[in-house]
Amino acid sequence: MSVSLLRMEHASFGYSGRIVLSDVDIDVARGDVIGIVGPNGAGKTTLLRALLGLVRLRTGRLLYGFDRRLHPPGYVPQRERLDPAFPLTAYDVVLMAATARVPALSRVDEAALQRTRESLERVGMLAVAHEPFATMSGGQKQRVLIARALAVEPEVLLLDEPTAGLDSGSEDAVLGILETLNREQGMTILLVSHHHGRMRRFIRSIVQVQDGRVMTSSVADAQVQP
Amino acid sequence: MGVVSEMLAADFLLRNALVASMLLGVMCPMVGVYFVLRRMIFLGVALPQLSAAGVAFAFLVGSALGLHVHGTAQERIVAAAGAFGFTMLGLLALAALERLGRETIDSRIGVTYAAAAAAGILFVVADPHGEAEMANLLKGDVVTTTGAGALELAGVFLIVLALLVAFRRDLLLVSFDREMARVLGKRVAAWDALLYLLIGLTISFGVMTAGPLLTFGFLVIPPLTARLLTRHMGAFTAVAAGAGALSAFVGFACAYRFDLPLGPTDVAVSLVVFAAVALGRAVHSALRPPLGRAHT
Repeated sequence: MSVSLLRMEHASFGYSGRIVLSDVDIDVARGDVIGIVGPNGAGKTTLLRALLGLVRLRTGRLLYGFDRRLHPPGYVPQRERLDPAFPLTAYDVVLMAATARVPALSRVDEAALQRTRESLERVGMLAVAHEPFATMSGGQKQRVLIARALAVEPEVLLLDEPTAGLDSGSEDAVLGILETLNREQGMTILLVSHHHGRMRRFIRSIVQVQDGRVMTSSVADAQVQP
Repeated sequence: MGVVSEMLAADFLLRNALVASMLLGVMCPMVGVYFVLRRMIFLGVALPQLSAAGVAFAFLVGSALGLHVHGTAQERIVAAAGAFGFTMLGLLALAALERLGRETIDSRIGVTYAAAAAAGILFVVADPHGEAEMANLLKGDVVTTTGAGALELAGVFLIVLALLVAFRRDLLLVSFDREMARVLGKRVAAWDALLYLLIGLTISFGVMTAGPLLTFGFLVIPPLTARLLTRHMGAFTAVAAGAGALSAFVGFACAYRFDLPLGPTDVAVSLVVFAAVALGRAVHSALRPPLGRAHT
């Protein structure tokens, strides 16, 4: 029997006293690729945030099959959430995550710098690493945020609408990166998507969020709208 | 050049005031970069006002208890306690209201400003002792800064600077992406508390030395100037501090030469610097050929 990388059992959670999703059971195996789908406002992002530990569970429990302090989850938020007022280059954005484990009063070590460069290289953004993050295109920003998530050496990547608002070329580039990470490095991936049509090529399981409930199925069995 | 060489002379009569102005010119923008980046600029108006109300409240309480501290060595200690106490209380109350999601941030800060301004005046009027001295302290007459006052300011700002530099990575991460910081195991509330403490210290001592107007001006205008010029956080902070120091020095020279009030002159000079940089940037952008943008 394979050990789960991430497991949520009988969980209920929400915001401000309101339960958004209840009795949620999710079991994520190592190397899995899971699409979290459902209509707008169904609670997809809330589920992702709960899996990240950002939303407190009212009932049930969340179990990680890895050491969160050594390998925090690689989180890729919706890029519009990040304020363009910050004077940061793509390199700065990734470095911020790579140095998160460096104690506050210590110098940034070479390993963290190396992780930053490697992460940017893996998403094809090393050449423009010193460009301002705020002025990058949507596809470029998304790749930088994936690099930032990789810089923490995660066991699992959790992405919130990674292809929303991208043109088809950028969408293919982002999905291509995720597919490569899964195929070549066995990276476990959970991603929220409004629709999963273009992701069908590498998603193995679907988590359908609707009417306050969550249902899991394999892609072959899924009856969701593309 | 006569004014500048006079200002730089070792026996310059207003040397302490010049030192205090320069310290404020450097430190307020270094804290102010977080106001600008976290989009809390109006907090920069409300908190100095709240700090001033704290000074008035501390003196009022002192008078009510029969402690006449005006003109004594304890005056600054009482003022500092009031200023810092009110600033921190205001920050904590605003942070709590934000967590509860009550009203919008603009309305919360607007109410804080109105309440602080009204309370400051009422506390001054209610204090039967030393209204004139208190009014001076609230106005923040930087010209009257003593050697001990300048040293005290330098000491406090040195601590604030050391902490800002030492913890810059975590303060930036928490400011830029709170959720990511939480995912990475950072204690976001603790880092916020540290930042608020540094803001509280800077504003309290800034208001006591130079009044709410100059403190607010230096908190906000130099960082806005720097944002037009820089692409990195380190450069942003350094240029903001540099623009503040330049404004403080030139403002002091203008005020000294033309016998103008120092606070408003410093603010006016920092606005001129901001306008000049904005204009230069607009001209540069207009003259630069358009660049293509990648879409992948």
